[in-house]
Amino acid sequence: MQGENDSGQTDFLQPSDSEIHAWMSKAFDMASDALENGEVPVGCLMVYNNEIIGKGRNEVNETKNATRHAEMVALDQVLDWCHCREKDPKVVCGQTVLYVTVEPCIMCAAALRLLHIPFVVYGCRNERFGGCGSVLDVSSDDLPHTGTSFKCISGYRAEEAVEMLKTFYKQENPNAPKPKVRK
Amino acid sequence: MEPQAKRKKEMDGFDVECWNILPVLSDEQSQDTELLSAYAAPIIEKKQTSRLMKELSLVYPLPGLHHIKRVRASNDKSSSHPLEVIVCLVRDMQEATNGKGVALADLLGSQSFDFSGLGEPFLVKIPATPPLTRPQFEKARKHWPTSFHEDKLITSALRGQLFTAAQKAKILEYMTVAVQAAKSGQEMGMNTVGAVIVDPESEQIVAVSHDCKNSSHPLHHAVMVCIDLVAYGQGGGAYNYDKYPACQFSSQESLRNSFKAVSAKESSQPYICTGYDLYVTREPCVMCAMALVHSRINRVFYGTAFADGALGTKYKIHCEKDLNHRFEVFKGVMLNTCEALCKK
Ligand SMILES: [Zn+2]
Ligand SMILES: [Zn+2]
Repeated sequence: MQGENDSGQTDFLQPSDSEIHAWMSKAFDMASDALENGEVPVGCLMVYNNEIIGKGRNEVNETKNATRHAEMVALDQVLDWCHCREKDPKVVCGQTVLYVTVEPCIMCAAALRLLHIPFVVYGCRNERFGGCGSVLDVSSDDLPHTGTSFKCISGYRAEEAVEMLKTFYKQENPNAPKPKVRK
Repeated sequence: MEPQAKRKKEMDGFDVECWNILPVLSDEQSQDTELLSAYAAPIIEKKQTSRLMKELSLVYPLPGLHHIKRVRASNDKSSSHPLEVIVCLVRDMQEATNGKGVALADLLGSQSFDFSGLGEPFLVKIPATPPLTRPQFEKARKHWPTSFHEDKLITSALRGQLFTAAQKAKILEYMTVAVQAAKSGQEMGMNTVGAVIVDPESEQIVAVSHDCKNSSHPLHHAVMVCIDLVAYGQGGGAYNYDKYPACQFSSQESLRNSFKAVSAKESSQPYICTGYDLYVTREPCVMCAMALVHSRINRVFYGTAFADGALGTKYKIHCEKDLNHRFEVFKGVMLNTCEALCKK
């Protein structure tokens, strides 16, 4: 690790096209599984050394915690994985790539920074909450106290990812609050 | 004790701790209003005023500048002409003028305009957008008069007069709980940040937390823990905080029992943090601020700013137009105490 600068390290980690294709196919399989089960169609996996060490699906409804996005769940698994193997999370995360069908939201983008994930590959943009350029650019903005910035590769099967989201939101989420009428 | 230090000690009381609670407003509300260059001209014959106004607004309608008053009283009281009128924006001029020596004929000559009654034009600056707050209005009208639809709540908030003495006492009470939680966390080796979530209707504390990230989980910031504890109280939750006795929650049941008057609420389960207020000793980071958007927090009160803070310092996520939930933020609660926590 010594003597390697930031960009050198992330270039080294940049996934090849065939890796992107393989892992994103898995992420899309997860997303369509979720959709079939009436869940938010986001597939998300974290890959370290060619191994999936974290996988997530949205758990907002069962935990009643609106922060339980797929990425947050997957990051928990990564931390557990490190804990079980007595590995330093900072070292492992620093060499882990996130594959996700939808651009991470502002919160998740900040969490990825805080854990020093260097690379994110995603499908479609997240126009409502996106933190990698769509609403804010948390991934690359100058935030010296918020971990390390990360690189993104975007647009992989984007239309398909958007279609899944549209299908899901058409079914109208019964757990979402009604628009405020009072006041 | 030196007199200086003694006075400082006395001032560390209620007034100073609550005195500078200020709203964190959007950039549009807090920045100086942008100015545009325009030509104005004196109205020498007062009886021509209404005709001139009508005809000028046909020739140069000033679209998007409805807040601008076309005519103003002359700034110079001793002036021979009492009124001045906006002729046009510099950018709307037919031909580029080289800055000086512009005559009425240059502005209106090609329009077959009857400019009797008008004097020679001069340059002015006019506010490009309507002022949103009283400080913006006061600054804007030094350049040119505008209309102003005052939001009285914002005005009194900016004067530090939004909260009554009783409300300030409550704010202080909740922040004191957050400060104590921060200290408990510190004793366990955590960052000294504490948070409290309150139901303002029932005045009940729903959850108390401190930063837990220095143990096993780097994302367990005080706000994230507090949000999860609220979820616990509602029968959900994702983590276990048994190791941290200062991190606590009230169950939905106990909240209802202790406050019967919220019977209207009983029929509907609260949706995460809807209607709840957060008190936190330090400005939330980006992750925590966005977590509060997702959780539909009602209001946030914080003590001291944070260099990468997302509720005023680096971003203003609470008034980000593209997001689906916005909320009010106040800073400076128990500022001295909260600042001192960060230095520990
Ligand atoms: Zn997210
Ligand atoms: Zn945070």
